[in-house]
Amino acid sequence: MKKLLTGAPVALALLLAGCGDDSKPLNTYEPQGPKAEAIDRIIQPIFLLAFVIGFLVFGVVAWLIFNNRVDPETYDPLDFPDQVHGNAKLEWGWTLVPAVILAIISAWSVPAIWDLEEKNEAGELDVLVIGQQWWWEYRYDVNGNGFFLDVDGDGVAGDEDDLQWPLELLLDPEDVVTANQLVIPAGQQVDLTLTSRDVIHSYWIPRLNGKRDTVPGRFHTWSVAANEAGEFTGWCTEFCGISHARMRMSAIALDKPDFDAWLANQSEAAAIPEEGSIAWEGREVFQAQCTQCHNITEDLDDPANVVAALTAKAAPNLTHFATRAAFAGNIYSQWVGIDPDAAQMDVSTYLDLGANYRFNEPELRRWIRNAPGRKDMAPEDERGMTAFPQLSDEQLDQLIAYLETLD
Amino acid sequence: MSEVATATEAHDDHDHGHEEHHSSLGLSNMKLAMWLFLGSECLLFTALISSYLLSKTRFIAELTAGNPDVIRGTLGDNVPADVENGDRLANSGDLLEPFSEMFAEGTVEPLWDIPFTSFSSFVLLMSSLSMVLAHSAVSKGDYKNTRLWLGTTALLGSVFIGGQVYEFTTFFREGLTYQGTLFGSAFYTLTGFHGVHVTGGILMLGSLLFLSFRGKLQKDRAETVELVGLYWHFVDVVWVLIFTIVYLIP
Amino acid sequence: MTLALPPAEQKFDGSPLGALVRPRTSTGLKGWLTTVDHKKIGIMYGAAAMFFLLIGGAAALLIRIQLAAPNQTLLGGDAYNRVFTMHGTVMVFLVVMPIGAAFANYMMPIQIGARDVAFPRINAFSFWVFLAGGLMLNTSWFLGGGANGGWFNYAPNNGIAFSPSAGIDFWNLGLFIAGIGSLSGAVNLITTVLNMRAPGMTWMRMPVFVWMTLVTQFLLLFAIPVLTVAQLLLMFDRNFGANFFNVSQGADPLLWQHLFWVFGHPEVYLMILPAFGIVSEVIPAFARKPIFGYPFMVASGAIIGFMGWGVWAHHMFVSGIGPLSVSAFSVATMFIAVPTGVKILNWVATLWGGKLLMTTAMWFSVGLIVQFTVGGLSGVAHAVAASDTQQTDTYFIVAHFHYVLFGGALFGFYAGLYFWWPKAFGYLLDEKWGKWNFWSMVVGFNLTFGPMHILGLQGMPRRMQTYDDAMGFSNWNLVATIGSLILGVGTLLILVNAMISRRRWIADGRPNPGPDPWDARTLEWSIQSPTPEHNFDYTPQVTELDDFWHRKYAMDENHNLVKIADAKDLAQPGNGEGVHLPAPSFWPILLAFSMPIIGYGVMFSLWLTIPGGILMMASLYGWALEPADDLDPKIDDHDGHGELVNV
Repeated sequence: MKKLLTGAPVALALLLAGCGDDSKPLNTYEPQGPKAEAIDRIIQPIFLLAFVIGFLVFGVVAWLIFNNRVDPETYDPLDFPDQVHGNAKLEWGWTLVPAVILAIISAWSVPAIWDLEEKNEAGELDVLVIGQQWWWEYRYDVNGNGFFLDVDGDGVAGDEDDLQWPLELLLDPEDVVTANQLVIPAGQQVDLTLTSRDVIHSYWIPRLNGKRDTVPGRFHTWSVAANEAGEFTGWCTEFCGISHARMRMSAIALDKPDFDAWLANQSEAAAIPEEGSIAWEGREVFQAQCTQCHNITEDLDDPANVVAALTAKAAPNLTHFATRAAFAGNIYSQWVGIDPDAAQMDVSTYLDLGANYRFNEPELRRWIRNAPGRKDMAPEDERGMTAFPQLSDEQLDQLIAYLETLD
Repeated sequence: MSEVATATEAHDDHDHGHEEHHSSLGLSNMKLAMWLFLGSECLLFTALISSYLLSKTRFIAELTAGNPDVIRGTLGDNVPADVENGDRLANSGDLLEPFSEMFAEGTVEPLWDIPFTSFSSFVLLMSSLSMVLAHSAVSKGDYKNTRLWLGTTALLGSVFIGGQVYEFTTFFREGLTYQGTLFGSAFYTLTGFHGVHVTGGILMLGSLLFLSFRGKLQKDRAETVELVGLYWHFVDVVWVLIFTIVYLIP
Repeated sequence: MTLALPPAEQKFDGSPLGALVRPRTSTGLKGWLTTVDHKKIGIMYGAAAMFFLLIGGAAALLIRIQLAAPNQTLLGGDAYNRVFTMHGTVMVFLVVMPIGAAFANYMMPIQIGARDVAFPRINAFSFWVFLAGGLMLNTSWFLGGGANGGWFNYAPNNGIAFSPSAGIDFWNLGLFIAGIGSLSGAVNLITTVLNMRAPGMTWMRMPVFVWMTLVTQFLLLFAIPVLTVAQLLLMFDRNFGANFFNVSQGADPLLWQHLFWVFGHPEVYLMILPAFGIVSEVIPAFARKPIFGYPFMVASGAIIGFMGWGVWAHHMFVSGIGPLSVSAFSVATMFIAVPTGVKILNWVATLWGGKLLMTTAMWFSVGLIVQFTVGGLSGVAHAVAASDTQQTDTYFIVAHFHYVLFGGALFGFYAGLYFWWPKAFGYLLDEKWGKWNFWSMVVGFNLTFGPMHILGLQGMPRRMQTYDDAMGFSNWNLVATIGSLILGVGTLLILVNAMISRRRWIADGRPNPGPDPWDARTLEWSIQSPTPEHNFDYTPQVTELDDFWHRKYAMDENHNLVKIADAKDLAQPGNGEGVHLPAPSFWPILLAFSMPIIGYGVMFSLWLTIPGGILMMASLYGWALEPADDLDPKIDDHDGHGELVNV
């Protein structure tokens, strides 16, 4: 028993220390942005207090068992302990003292709730995060005119007059659209507006901030900020159906100049491959097979871009597909040598992945051929990507060649 | 009085002799149980009414309206003046079903026939009175009047239900369908749920009436009538609440 | 059910509705099916809970095996979702709640000196309708593939668009039906506590377990209707095309969360409070001193019951309810730790200075104290809303509520089983096997759920069918899986123990353990073991808290405790002659099983609701017209009070 008493705290202290482990990419104990650090400052002392109280209770109970135990075979049933019925002072004491402690914790921790809500001054970059089964869409409001289309032309985008029936808003076609990796400037807070196309998801990049649900029909505000450039993985944390476990994402924090270059590139239309090349053939395949769901913007002024109602079924916009590190809800790498779950990419290569890594052709091939076999989805209910067994090997080669040119 | 309490006496009465059936609170088990059940029903209707209120306001003041933060975040300081009040959807009314024009005004009043519903509410309230008279009659052993007032109560309740059926049919014809809109679902569910409660009450009254005609509802059963009465009054009070919330408050 | 009473002078011809004779037998299968005896009903609650524990436990092991290593494919995405949904749902609604009901049913009436509950037939109905709902839910394994929306079943993922299979309907209607049983049970048990206490059993002489039962049943009474409304709205949405959770019609999905958690948080307390009550009985018996601070124990339980209504939104800190609501619920949640802490400290103070007989029941009780404390402290950690934004929906939460509900509630229930087993079955459970049972559960439990704290803080979210090795979750998951296998075996040892102990008891020809094998304190020990069918030969007169103990021991002039009477002499002899008990009835079980027929009708074909509805109405009227008792010449119309309320 004594061994247990001394051994247990040591063991648990070791476990607690083991929590702070840099090799675990989702670790909440390794905050790397001001918001996450603010949360961490709240967590640590509370856990310390909890440990002290927990061991006190455990220790006292263990000591009492060790000390006050009598042998059921030999004890004298008439030798009673003191028949104490209670002690009002003591009981009021252990009612009031914890109440005071908890009042202090409340007063000390509640301001953090408001700190986490704090937003940038107006005019900074905003990103709309749209969750859907089972990937993330990001829309960068590059022109500062809001995420939605000003349908009635009153100069105010996304107000109630712009609502379409059934209730939905049309998305601003001028925004930069990307998927799965949220690219942000390092050292700067980026405000997020969160919503969903179908069910509730939750946006969580543990090293940068806590989580916030993305609820269809609602717009929640949240933010992320990274101290330094780096790759930070996240995971959808509200149960969202059969591929909930495969709805992952990451935040790529780039130094400000890199970020500006990235955004400028993303703002451009897609490159059209040279006529007659394999990629050109792939473009033909794409337009015949994929455009029912996927969009590649080749003309920024094309009115056809204004199709995406917020609540409509959507598939990732592939305009700059080859600038992304991973696809399919950030579970499969687009480039050989990058493991999106390990979060160990050298982000200095992110601006030019094609020059540093080989395109992950086999994975893409498997995916296009039979996506539901690579990730649980329900394409029969328009939730997730269908399989394309009808594509020939040659068509697949062409398609993948085309995708690789989309940088 | 419970089976068990009776059994206690049946065996041995040296505990408390021939005093009233043992009951710690001095209230019969049946009556206590009915009060508890009605307490539970209160929560049921609270939850239903809350759901109705939320559905109604959400339908009218949609999306961005409840989230001025979003407006500010995306539009800077150009917050439209009317975002903070409930007056919206004005221009998109023509996109909605025909019924939706009523919502364009931020109100559903045009649909209601307040005098009609007030009348049927009055009828229901009057039935509470006849219920009291029925109980009083049965307590006095006046079985003729018991039947008269039980019958009146059931009849008044049926008039109310008839009114509700008529109202539902009219609204349905005017375009307020159960499946068409969120408001329609919420309205029919709340008022319909109350209607089911009234119907259940009418069934109980009918059963009592039947027993009375068979000569099986005697003075010593007055408590049974009282219990049904408790339920009936509760259902009436709930209607006052629903009528105010659904019909009178814009 | 209250409406149609046969007049006193009506002679009962033995065939109500000409269909079913009121059964008289109290033995054999028919005896169990028609019984209205609260003890048999309590035992059936316990047995049903154990049966469902096997199902829920098997689901738990499947989850753990799936997660033992990264990227396993034993369960696919949908299968995993069904298994974890059914695990949570079965454990909450069909295991922990009914075990609480089992103890409440069996022990509470005896502890207050009553012969049965207020409404014995409604009591039978409550059990059967719970069983009917539970079985209906579990038929989804075969008929619809299992519910796949999680036990919390959030909208709009529970809608027909996102979960088109019938699984959610089974969840919805099965629990709806089971909820009817909880509700009628609550009305019944509250009436019993309020109205049927033995003379002299005032509020402050009620055993703590009775108090906790009362609080629990009040929580049920008010919480169940809120869940019922949520389930009705979902049923109208899924089965009748309503729009309550249809976002494109402007619905707010948070409506479901509010309704669910307004129910769901009181639900949490009504799962743990019965266990608190049990431990409050066990510890004084084996510390050989009274419970420390009885008024504080009672008041803290009641305050937990009240405060439990004001904290529901702490399940929604990241749902986007706004910082003001979050702050308010965060503070409210923290303060609910105060009454809970009082309970822990009062138990410790009861142990303090006691002479501790470390029986298996006692070990399970101290197991509850320590493990619940861990769960309570992690609870405070995520009552702090800022910290909760990192922890919610991670394995940290899984660890937290398993420490509360398994390490707390279930350990408490096991303490109760070991404590009261002789009272119910007339033989003692073997202590050696009991110790194995306890220690294997402690080791398995902490190996399983202890590492989950770490996994959660390292960022492993809940409800994940799989994970990748690169995330660094593999080692602790393997440990947890090994722990769960130990825990699975340990949990079952009580059944092994029950069988072995019974066989040995009979083989060794051991005598009846007597009315009071533990030298305990409350009224249930003043009658024979196993409890006679009529409980008490005569109604006890209560003069003190722990009345039975004070009849055994008293202070002499030197303020020393001395024995003044032996339990065997004090105990009622168990002679039930002339005691008239309510007769069994077919109607409760018929009425109960009419409900799933209607439920299946809603799901598959509305035509099926017609036979279901007919059976239901027939049962209701059959019940109402059935005399509460067949006429027994011995007591016929005994002093003008022979008529019986027909419930």
